[in-house]
Amino acid sequence: MTQSSFRGSLGIRHLVCGSCNGCEHEMNALNNAYYDITRDGWDIVASPRHADVITVTGPMTVAMRAAAEQTVDAVPLPRVVVAIGDCAAGVGPWAGAPEAGEGAGVELEAAIFVHGCPPTPDAIRSGLEEAGTILSRGDVARAVKDQKRER
Amino acid sequence: MSGPSHELDVSAFERGVSAECESGVPLGAYASSDAVHYLFLGARGAFALERPHADGRAATAFSATFPLFSWDEREMRDEWNVRFADLPDPRPLRGQDGRMPDALLATGGGLMHMVVGPVHAGIIEPGRFTFSSGGETVVHLDAQLSYSHRGVERHLCGTDALEAAAGVARICGSCSASRSLAYAQALEQLAGIELDPGVELARLVVVELERVYNHLADLAASAAGAGWGPGFARGMALKERAMRACRLGGGHRLLFDAIVPGGVGPSTLREPSELRATLRVLASSAEHYFAALFGNPSVVARWERAGVVSRKMARAFGAVGPASRASGGKIDVRAFAPYGAYRRIRVDAATAASGDAFARCCVKRDELRGSFRAIDEALAQLGDARPSAPKMPRLGPGAAIGVVEGPRGAETVAVHVDDRGRLSRLHVISASYRNWPIVAAAMDGNIVPDFPLVNKSFNLCYACADR
Ligand code: SF4
Repeated sequence: MTQSSFRGSLGIRHLVCGSCNGCEHEMNALNNAYYDITRDGWDIVASPRHADVITVTGPMTVAMRAAAEQTVDAVPLPRVVVAIGDCAAGVGPWAGAPEAGEGAGVELEAAIFVHGCPPTPDAIRSGLEEAGTILSRGDVARAVKDQKRER
Repeated sequence: MSGPSHELDVSAFERGVSAECESGVPLGAYASSDAVHYLFLGARGAFALERPHADGRAATAFSATFPLFSWDEREMRDEWNVRFADLPDPRPLRGQDGRMPDALLATGGGLMHMVVGPVHAGIIEPGRFTFSSGGETVVHLDAQLSYSHRGVERHLCGTDALEAAAGVARICGSCSASRSLAYAQALEQLAGIELDPGVELARLVVVELERVYNHLADLAASAAGAGWGPGFARGMALKERAMRACRLGGGHRLLFDAIVPGGVGPSTLREPSELRATLRVLASSAEHYFAALFGNPSVVARWERAGVVSRKMARAFGAVGPASRASGGKIDVRAFAPYGAYRRIRVDAATAASGDAFARCCVKRDELRGSFRAIDEALAQLGDARPSAPKMPRLGPGAAIGVVEGPRGAETVAVHVDDRGRLSRLHVISASYRNWPIVAAAMDGNIVPDFPLVNKSFNLCYACADR
């Protein structure tokens, strides 16, 4: 019922799970005057409670795992996890490192994977647009399943 | 590096470390499987004082006298089983199996405690900050990091030292180029090779570009910390232009792989004249920005006396980079122990005395000016010449240390290579690792709402401190 409104007003919460901070530089760029996602009605929000989309970066670390899961759980349904960067997809430089996990996006069941090391702000923007579409269609679960199958 | 063959008896070792801590430039310490290594900076580069640790005798904890080694020695104990007789902080440095050790609290009548993190409100790396405060005034802040600990050093060990360079470039995004240069320097020392002057000039351009985008972002964040939104927006727009210049000059917006062992990456300095013109325009925009920022009395008033670090404190904690130079410190590796093209293009150490957020912003502004000048000079000397392709012979066994001045201070990388050219030990001491304890100490007596302001005036990384 509320579906079509999602695309135009995404609340985005960012979650860092062992990233090198490179992906964060590009996430931050979305807020600068050149990319300015607020023009699209999107907003990077401070609380998971205000979010529709959770962007996650990094390979996941042993130390972050519990806090990351709690943060995602705190986001109301329907929600979409978007994995930003190769690390979050489990194919970055730290895949297999002793204290790293399988990729934040893999572990937190991302519906969308934006590749790159780091991805460009434009690529991240496309990923977020896709997240809006999935939310509007209301088929997050299917998108997650498709991603798992592809892996 | 003197190498483990340079044996000292234990008391001479202890006297040496103490003397260097008193009057020299300490960089940090680490353990390998059989020895402990304390690193210092001399006028001709980094050197190590070493002693075996697996001989059954407990090691002396230098952090009991020189707190700067506190993190290093805890890490040596936790991860390399170095036995210290008298380590002042018994807690593990990092979380164990996903659990962080208890925070250190100040207790007493009327004091309260507030925990922030590890997940923060903005697009920021994770860390847990526990404030003990009386009303708004902070009595003690315990900063516990390590949420980004991936185990990068162990992960890269066993791989070919040349192939590991791409991993080294991705330990931390914000100081990638500086760390790549320190790593390359160490391997080149081992190989005993000299580089073309053109390659050294190209490397100077790359690492100064890194300083430019970082310092612009720091000034923008410091404007935000002072509550000036337009100053933040303008600063971040300048940072975006700097990142585009990084792509133009180094082939990557964060300069990943722009410096490789034996030379520079294939995309480095393909359009030197376009880069030079771009940076001249950026430098002049930056001047307008400085005038607006430093000419805004309400911003400057918020910066002044916030997060004061005394000269004595900076020395005791082993602060490096702008965190040290804003408190009267004089060491800038580029000037103190010039390497590569800094032997020909001199950079003066920018300093300030008041040790507050304002002083740190002044140092960064002055360094930005110095960076633009140095890049322009390097590009003038290079002309249209393209840097030659990287050359790197097969590596023999040995150990070496690379150290360069990154945006946040000395970036140190120690490498041990085995007889098949593979890393047998890699240790990274980042400027952020050195400086984090001082951020916490700088909060004493400040009010809780000033934490973002004080923190952003340092703007340290987590990824290279946690590794
Ligand atoms: S994908 Fe690349 S930029 Fe992003 S966190 Fe991983 S190493 Fe850093």
